[in-house]
Amino acid sequence: MLNEKKNKTNLYIALGLLVILYVFLILLDNVLPQNNFVLMLVPVLKKSAIYSVVCVSMNLLNGFTGLFSLGQAGFMMLGGYAYAIFSIPHEQHAAVYQYFDGGAIQFSIPEALQNVLGDFGGAFVGSIICIIIGGLVAAGVAALIGIPVLRLKSDYLAIATLGFAEILRAVFQWDGLGRVTNGSNLLRKYTSFSAMKIGNFKIGTLFPFLIATICVIIIVLLINSSYGRAFKAIRDDEIAAEAMGINLFKHKMLAFVISSFFSGVGGALLAMYQTTIQAAPFKSAMTYEILLIVVIGGIGSISGSCIAAFLYIACNEWWLRFLDSGQFFGLSVPFFRDGFRKVVFSIVIMVIVLFFSRGIMGDKELSFTGLINKIKARKEKKGEVA
Amino acid sequence: MKKVLAVVLALAMIFSFAACGEEKASAENVVKIGVYEPQSGDNGAGGKQEILGMQYANSVKPTVTVGGTEYKVELVYADNESSNDKAVSAATQLIGAGCSVVLGSYGSGVSIAASDTFGEAGIPAIGVTCTNPQVTEGNDHYFRICFLDPFQGTVHANLAKEKFGAKTAYCLGQLGNDYDQGLINYFSEAAKALGLTVIPESFPEGNSDFTSYLTNAKNAGADVIFAPCSTSYAQLIIEQAAAQGINTPLLASDTWDSNVILAAANGKDLDIEVSTFYQEGANAEFEASFKEWINADSTNLANNGGNDTLAAVSVMGYDAYFVALAAMENAGSVEAADILAALPTTTFTGITGAIQFDAIGDAVRDSAVIKKANTTTESWEFVATQTVK
Repeated sequence: MLNEKKNKTNLYIALGLLVILYVFLILLDNVLPQNNFVLMLVPVLKKSAIYSVVCVSMNLLNGFTGLFSLGQAGFMMLGGYAYAIFSIPHEQHAAVYQYFDGGAIQFSIPEALQNVLGDFGGAFVGSIICIIIGGLVAAGVAALIGIPVLRLKSDYLAIATLGFAEILRAVFQWDGLGRVTNGSNLLRKYTSFSAMKIGNFKIGTLFPFLIATICVIIIVLLINSSYGRAFKAIRDDEIAAEAMGINLFKHKMLAFVISSFFSGVGGALLAMYQTTIQAAPFKSAMTYEILLIVVIGGIGSISGSCIAAFLYIACNEWWLRFLDSGQFFGLSVPFFRDGFRKVVFSIVIMVIVLFFSRGIMGDKELSFTGLINKIKARKEKKGEVA
Repeated sequence: MKKVLAVVLALAMIFSFAACGEEKASAENVVKIGVYEPQSGDNGAGGKQEILGMQYANSVKPTVTVGGTEYKVELVYADNESSNDKAVSAATQLIGAGCSVVLGSYGSGVSIAASDTFGEAGIPAIGVTCTNPQVTEGNDHYFRICFLDPFQGTVHANLAKEKFGAKTAYCLGQLGNDYDQGLINYFSEAAKALGLTVIPESFPEGNSDFTSYLTNAKNAGADVIFAPCSTSYAQLIIEQAAAQGINTPLLASDTWDSNVILAAANGKDLDIEVSTFYQEGANAEFEASFKEWINADSTNLANNGGNDTLAAVSVMGYDAYFVALAAMENAGSVEAADILAALPTTTFTGITGAIQFDAIGDAVRDSAVIKKANTTTESWEFVATQTVK
């Protein structure tokens, strides 16, 4: 009874904060002055929202089901490409597929919808449809390769998925598929976040957060359902889970396909953010980056993944950039040179992994009432000492 | 221990936060030029050489007088890490710093990836050595001062046909690299039109054994090998071609115009010919002072790869800086919008020749310098100026 009440309070606080966040994002795009701080904050927020989706999807697989898979970058690439291919406007095909006679697919979903729903409606609905297509393509491929791969365990599964992602990248770069994937070249000119505006009212920053929120909520609901409990049972002890009547293969497949779906969605959002997409950056290093965020946030904690995604992206792309500039508070520091950021960043990550090996959140979730209680408890303790 | 560490980490975060929020307040007039270049990643070495040219130009002419007011020119750097997914934030960093115009980048992919970000902010960008047609196509804000890939591919096809009398050409590029594959595509088109047989092959990223590719080329009876790949692979190709005794002429694009290639080819019986923007020795006075500037600072020397051989990209960087200043003078303003409007009509005669822009925003250039690696003196020899109409 008490627990239920606590949960409700938590939910209301979370909803309230979400509304505040959304209002802030709208203000960020439309009202706030475009100074240095705001300009840097916007791309960092967008990218961290996107990475949150991908990290949470990886956490679903690695943290909650106990399947150590390293195919995330491959699924993201599938999602990103599917999104881009179906949303390049028709008149741009000749320019984008310059080596492949304008490509094989000659229509664009957002463009077709724009004729019916107007500029914003078409871009909004069309890109959501394309994002879902991206997710479905990733999920479909995951279902196919899951059949052989999911029979493997631990390290073998990791190696197999990693290899699969690399193969996928090579296939996408192959000239023979050039009329669809544009071979080694960039896909561009598709609907991006900047198309998300009604007149002068922009929601380019809000959009990735909306999608990310929906994805994370779905994953949280899944984890708290009976399927989620089955996933956790498999993670803790496969044999015991099987003895309890859980169909191992079915549940592993389910987790794998759902995780890939959300990775695909994340990839599609990343394509929107980057405004261009190419297979080359989707290499294993990207998967490691995501794995790192999951570890820093805490394996088995959704809120941890989201917090870590923001911290990681902000440090990598913004806060630690001054280390490359040779300047520190106006002083010239000779060893602050390009590349130094990477050194400092690696040391920070090493310290986190060595001394805080359970990550920021461990396997706990951020709980607002819990946070308040903790602060209260600490105050009382201090009071006792005094 | 843990607590101390946590506090130290938190402090580090706060410091960095403060550092990035810092804005310099100065009384004098300053105009900022953004340098959007890779300083790490695959193209880090080339990007650094390009920056050197801009830095030298800045030391030669640190101020610009626009509309009767003298402005101090400040270069603002952003590292795009040769990676498309870092392009947006690096570009935003320059916009946030208040740059009036942006120079760069080395590598077309990152330029295309950042193009929309610059476009939305209304800031003009001048590409220095990004040769892919897609950089300037279909937008109004991206300009470039170098020649294009279709042109460069045609130059090499003509070279293969006219100089080497080739009947068969073997092309080798990296899979997934738009630069390599684009050039090979244009080379193939032009070569086929000239009646050559073209055999294209691709190697995967990170490949280090090129013996099978070179054997394929030999077995196919290739008269020339066209390999417009990045320098790290180029070194391996040179080593392994020499080891196998394959002395088929190696043709390559502007990426191979680097002292790294000269070092690799030193003492080997190979015929390496590259197309590039500028031939060392064409302007002795300029080169002497540039070299003096490089040698005066150990950092510059390290960024140039340890010696003072001038790279064509450095000279292009130098010219790009002056084109930006010329545009400001032409606009009579240091506002981004005015510079953008003035760029199409801006002309400048630089070290690499006269620069003016066509309707798309590309420099009007109809010739490239062909040079050959001298494998005994470790230097480039001028071969010809190849012109395509």
